[in-house]
Amino acid sequence: MKDGETPANVQEIVVDEVFSHAPETIWKTLTSGDLMARWLGMAPAGFAPVVGNRFTYQTTPAGEWDGTIRCEVLEVIPNERFVYSWRGGHDGNVGYGSRLDTIVTFMLEGIDGGTRLRLVHSGFVLPRNDSAYRNMSGGWSQVVPQIGAITGEEDS
Amino acid sequence: MIQTVAIDTVLRALADPTRRAVFERLARAEEVNVAELTRTSGVTQGAVSQHLKALKLAGLVVERPQGRNVFYRARPEGLSPLFDWLGHYDSFWRDRFADLRALLKEIDP
Repeated sequence: MKDGETPANVQEIVVDEVFSHAPETIWKTLTSGDLMARWLGMAPAGFAPVVGNRFTYQTTPAGEWDGTIRCEVLEVIPNERFVYSWRGGHDGNVGYGSRLDTIVTFMLEGIDGGTRLRLVHSGFVLPRNDSAYRNMSGGWSQVVPQIGAITGEEDS
Repeated sequence: MIQTVAIDTVLRALADPTRRAVFERLARAEEVNVAELTRTSGVTQGAVSQHLKALKLAGLVVERPQGRNVFYRARPEGLSPLFDWLGHYDSFWRDRFADLRALLKEIDP
């Protein structure tokens, strides 16, 4: 980031839903490799629900990023809380495939007739805010040439 | 969902090297008309008009008619979906939750 640009802006994604299944059942889908693969659409390689375990997901590559998401289990409280880091991307990418150093947290809470499941994916550093967009005189000349790489189309 | 579509639209609009060059040309200038753009682009005026139309649909360019002329300028905020990781991951997790719900129904009916 150049001097004079606006301060980084850190944001998070929250998905909060109620399921009519017991916390134990949901815990199983969140923390066993086979089931994770089925609802995440990506199989965790080398995963074990143990603090300190390192595992990877393989997703669509973008630009210089090979599509590997590197994770480390940070917290395991059975049927309550499951936290892992989620790192990937590359500095040369914008939008999808840009550098990510984030944390995924699942929180389970038993409620009447089911479970409230809350996901927080935090640590998204947005380097540009609205005023930066308006002032990006030099900014997008760096951004635009990379778009061909992102879309997989040849740049001439 | 909407944000993911917007990213695709913007990426598609800028994936074409000629169209990207038109956009970059506009980004460097204040306002340019089609004739002026054609002179510097190396393609026909018809092609430039088509590219401008695509850029306009993607929200990357705005036009201002003045008499018989139409002036075009870049719309920087149109690029914002490209920076929007949140949009991508927000859709990702919402879709995954739907899949999780379906899986739970299957293993724990």
